[in-house]
Amino acid sequence: MANFWRNPLFGWGVDRAEDSQPTLPHRPPQEPWDETRQSKVEMFPVGRPRLYYKWPGHGGWTWNRKRYWPTRRRLLNIRGEYNPKTMRREKTIVDKRPLWWVMALSFMVIAPWLMPEDYQTTLLTAGATFAIYAAINLVWMLVIGTAGIYSLATYAVVGAAGFGTAWLSINLGVPWYVLPFIGSAIGLVFGLIIAIPATRLDGFYYALLTLGLNELCRVYALQSKIFGSSTGGLYGADTYISEHWDDATQSLVAYFACLTLMVLALVLFRFVNGKRIGRVLRMAPEKREAFAEATGVNFRQARIMVFVVSSIALGFIGGFYTAHYRGVSFSIFSFDTVLLGVAMLVIGGIGRAEGAVAGAAIVIFLDKALLSLGPIRLIIIGAIMLGVVLFLRGGLFGIKPQFRAWRDKKKSERRSTRAEKGGEMLPEEATETRDKDLIYWRRYDKMQRDYLKKLVSPEVIEEHRKSPLGQHSEALERLLLYFRRAPLSDKYAIIAVEPFKAYRIVALSGQRGVAPRIVEDRIYASQEEAYHGIFMRRVQDLLES
Amino acid sequence: MAQVKLFGYTNKISVKPGDTIDFHVNADGTTQAQAQLVRLIHGDEHPAGPGMIEEEIACEANGEWAVRKQYTQLGSFLEVADPDRKLALEGSLTICAFVYSSLPLAGLRQALVGRWHNQRNFGYCLGITQRGHLEFWVGQGDEVDYVQTEVALLPEMWYFVAASFDAKTGRATVHQESVANRYNSLLGRVSPIDYRSHVSEVFRFRQKHLPETPFLMAGSRDFHETRGEFVSQTFCGKLDRPMLYDRPLAWEELLKIAQGGAPSREGLVAFWDTSAGYTDRGIGDTVIDVGPHGLHAEGYNRPVRGQTGWNWSGRNDCFRLAPHEYGGIEFHYEVMISSNWDVTRSVTLPTTLKSGAYAMRLRAGTGKGLGEEYIVFFVRAAVPKAPIAFLFPTASYLAYANEHLSFDAQIIQPMTGQPPIITDIDIEMYKNKEFGLSTYDAWEDGNGVCYSSYHRPIVNMRPKHRISSMGITWQFPADLSIIAWLEHKGYDYEVLTDEDLHREGIEALKPYRCVISGTHPEYYSEEMLDATEDYIASGGRYIYMGGNGYYWNVAFRPDEPWIMEVRKLDSGMRAWNARPGEHYLATTGMKSGLWKNLGRPPQKMVGIGFIAEGFETSRPYRRMPDSYHRTVDWIMEGVEGEMIGESGLAYGGAAGIELDRYDLSHGTPPHTRILASSGGHSDNYLLSVEEILYPYPGLSGSQDYRIRGDMVFFNSPNDGGVFCGGSIAFGQALPADGFNNNVSKVLSNVVDAFIKPGSLPGGLWAHQEKQWR
Repeated sequence: MANFWRNPLFGWGVDRAEDSQPTLPHRPPQEPWDETRQSKVEMFPVGRPRLYYKWPGHGGWTWNRKRYWPTRRRLLNIRGEYNPKTMRREKTIVDKRPLWWVMALSFMVIAPWLMPEDYQTTLLTAGATFAIYAAINLVWMLVIGTAGIYSLATYAVVGAAGFGTAWLSINLGVPWYVLPFIGSAIGLVFGLIIAIPATRLDGFYYALLTLGLNELCRVYALQSKIFGSSTGGLYGADTYISEHWDDATQSLVAYFACLTLMVLALVLFRFVNGKRIGRVLRMAPEKREAFAEATGVNFRQARIMVFVVSSIALGFIGGFYTAHYRGVSFSIFSFDTVLLGVAMLVIGGIGRAEGAVAGAAIVIFLDKALLSLGPIRLIIIGAIMLGVVLFLRGGLFGIKPQFRAWRDKKKSERRSTRAEKGGEMLPEEATETRDKDLIYWRRYDKMQRDYLKKLVSPEVIEEHRKSPLGQHSEALERLLLYFRRAPLSDKYAIIAVEPFKAYRIVALSGQRGVAPRIVEDRIYASQEEAYHGIFMRRVQDLLES
Repeated sequence: MAQVKLFGYTNKISVKPGDTIDFHVNADGTTQAQAQLVRLIHGDEHPAGPGMIEEEIACEANGEWAVRKQYTQLGSFLEVADPDRKLALEGSLTICAFVYSSLPLAGLRQALVGRWHNQRNFGYCLGITQRGHLEFWVGQGDEVDYVQTEVALLPEMWYFVAASFDAKTGRATVHQESVANRYNSLLGRVSPIDYRSHVSEVFRFRQKHLPETPFLMAGSRDFHETRGEFVSQTFCGKLDRPMLYDRPLAWEELLKIAQGGAPSREGLVAFWDTSAGYTDRGIGDTVIDVGPHGLHAEGYNRPVRGQTGWNWSGRNDCFRLAPHEYGGIEFHYEVMISSNWDVTRSVTLPTTLKSGAYAMRLRAGTGKGLGEEYIVFFVRAAVPKAPIAFLFPTASYLAYANEHLSFDAQIIQPMTGQPPIITDIDIEMYKNKEFGLSTYDAWEDGNGVCYSSYHRPIVNMRPKHRISSMGITWQFPADLSIIAWLEHKGYDYEVLTDEDLHREGIEALKPYRCVISGTHPEYYSEEMLDATEDYIASGGRYIYMGGNGYYWNVAFRPDEPWIMEVRKLDSGMRAWNARPGEHYLATTGMKSGLWKNLGRPPQKMVGIGFIAEGFETSRPYRRMPDSYHRTVDWIMEGVEGEMIGESGLAYGGAAGIELDRYDLSHGTPPHTRILASSGGHSDNYLLSVEEILYPYPGLSGSQDYRIRGDMVFFNSPNDGGVFCGGSIAFGQALPADGFNNNVSKVLSNVVDAFIKPGSLPGGLWAHQEKQWR
């Protein structure tokens, strides 16, 4: 037998009030509450113990913060915060890189005294080589990473400066301490020359061009008598390493000199990459230059600027190279040098100072310190490089963000298999919710919807169509009350296209100052039709949830 | 081409024929607009009524107007006039203040106290960063140096904050320390929170100043090439007693100030004692500097004064009782009280204007939607002559001015029982913060808006507007239905506004034999209420057309009648609740809230008062047995049958939206008769909250007998009389069926009798009843 709902207002003669409405049998609203006695999925325990110490806040003490003179940068970027689980004051070092640098550089400084006696000379030589290559890489990183110019002519600049200064030193007796500066001048000229095509070419073509240039230098030097085609290079330049010192002292001085060079390169990197010009260039990454240009970023000028500065620095290193090795060999132009350099950059990660240095350390260690392994070490380098290119997006130092992105991906995959859309929160979601009231709201809302879904019937829809406003049967009233109480974001509303003639359905933004969005093209001829249109959409949304 | 948009306002809302009135217009996408002065007669486009009716009036200003884009300053702040640049400290300094930040994580930088140029980076400032940390910064043009606290400020907590800068050593220190007590802040002592932070750094340089930068609190100077100078980095929260020293103060000394000690005078440059200068009759916009130079600060966009301060003890509930505990000045970064646009056109009105509601109709582009603007104002009689005055409830227009309920209030759909119907104009108002908010909205921090002004475009005080959340006309366009009825019936009437009533008191009403209210005169100042009561008591005849009238106590300053203040509190149908201890009007020192809770329920003056509201249906009235008594049956003359108002423009009936009820316990005059009452209201009608002590099931239309509109009448002293329609929908029922309906009939009977000199009909039938049946 059909059930009927009697309209309490019928006796008052209310417009469109019918004595009775067909309706579904009554169901108690507690039904879903009684039926639901536990979660549908297993609730795993969440929470992690803290395995390391976190500094509390300074509280009433004055915290004297130090800066890197003469900048306004603080020694460490530290974030003070409240632990949301305990409200304890905590400090987090947001950027730990300065600490790693200090540790790494300190290690390099004390390393000579930690080395085994037997290997000291070998290791110090390798260390000096590493520092020089690291310095070259850092400057090269400015060109490739910061400026985004794919130049492979780096060693050509170093080599040109090296050969130039060696020739001057040998033939004109220029003392060693002038060589780096002459090298800088050569680097500037060289840099300007190869900067010109950089304004027109980019990417692969520029890389090819610069590689060609590198090869040209090699072939030229190889065939030029002036540059010692017979001796395999130019040797006999003045050097800062006195031959009166004993071998150990010589190695030690050479090592620290190279280390100083690397530190200078680091400083240069910081001042170019970390300052305004670096930021300008980061706004114009590859393939988005046009957008940056349209917003007023003069990235071309900034690129050339970085390129020229780098060339001067590379020239300086070239001069130093000569003064360090007492000359320079053709191998600096050789293809395998370029490739080893590329390997260092790629392994460490393009665009980071620590990448340039760590990459150099790894490759030099394999190449120079493990000489005893023989040619297999080159295969190892190749394998590492291949692995990095295949599996890592930002070199070794990109592992952390890459790992986090991967973990987030896995997290959302797992949650989507466990969580119900619009259903109760999982413990792992609850921990991420600041206002715990929302967790209950989700439960309540779910129960409501589970109940209300059972109230939707053709009778209810028909009742609403006939009279969208006014007194309704209990089932319809419950549905409407629920719909009307929904949160404001994406809540339906009507826009009057023409009052009393044309209406459309929109959805509110729920965000202050953000206009509603149109949800469908349909035009309703009257307010009542639009009200019913919204009701039908809401019923559909309810049944779909 | 950009979309054409026109919006404007006038400097005065109530004028007389021949007066000069200034129009302020903002135009987007056009530089010209067609102006036409019109008299507004009807403004509801509902197909059951007569539709939009306006009369074009000849005026010197008709024709083409040059219009342009105008800018609006958002945010409230304090500005210090400092011609001698005493505050442009070049060397050591200390700033300290008590701060209550209501949105530290607004994602925007907020300036607290300083002399700072935001675009050119000159000066010094103490402020809050995007991440909510307190920060002190100085600038020398090319570079800025700064120091910030270790941990962000927590919202709605009182802190003592300070920054001291020693120019000799370059050492700058910021301090923050909690001054929360058991009453004044959000969190109590049981929350295990360490609020303190003291951070010190050495700056690389000393600040330099631009000569013209003003010293601001709760904002900083900024510049834009098309807009010129303005204020940005405005603040959201409360400031209490900011001070400035020209020497670095050590923490020990600052701590004394934080503990409420008297600040040292040594090196004191300025001390804005925010609790000074309070009077028993309210607080102005000037914040007094009790320091050596007397550099008082002026408030812009009405910072809210007289709010609870850092040392509020909970014992006193008003700034009048303990001014020193009420030093809080509340700021909001998006508040807009007055647009302060340039005058677009000054218009001298014709001297022959008939009293009524007028508008300068501006059209540009398509001339429809956003391309059409009605700038409404009211013309009263130069010398009152007519027997009838219609009183436009402009105070209530202010309360609802540019309400955002459909967009921002989650409760509005359950309340009105329908989805909102918005228009392009509503969306434009919502998108653009420069329209400001109504007293039905909350600022971004969730605190209710207590000021509203008509020196800004008001999109819902114009003909044709329908309130989106309810789908009907509301306030001004609804009141035009009564004007249309007066016109249709050919009554000789003039109009007044709440502003006239507030400023002139009973003198404004006295010349008229009969005064007719608007449909929803909800907001009343004490002056307005007194004048109305005195008018009725002294023989005036008053028709209360509407529902939910004489409800909120509001206040205006005598010199700024365009700004209204209200505080919503404790009970009543209210969009927000004032914080504890902030229940008194800063404008007058009087307690705000419901008139009922102040001992003046509306029943005491007009016989009925608010009982229920509901929005999706209206009902008719049915005659009550008392209406057959000969003392009052003249009101029902010519009414066929018992039903009255079975149609109307508001949900199809004369009793609806908000209903008022007869109640002896609230002071309805004992001899009042209920002429007719409505019934059969749906369950969307719910009892008003001030009538509810305990809520229990069944407080809705179909189950509670109190939910009804009462049409009442009573005689008042000196041949006066009061007739009440009993609901908001009553006025909107007048135009139904070509003004040919029972409601119209009843009202004409009343008006005809009210405008006739001498005593009212029915007076003879007052003898003791000796009935045979």
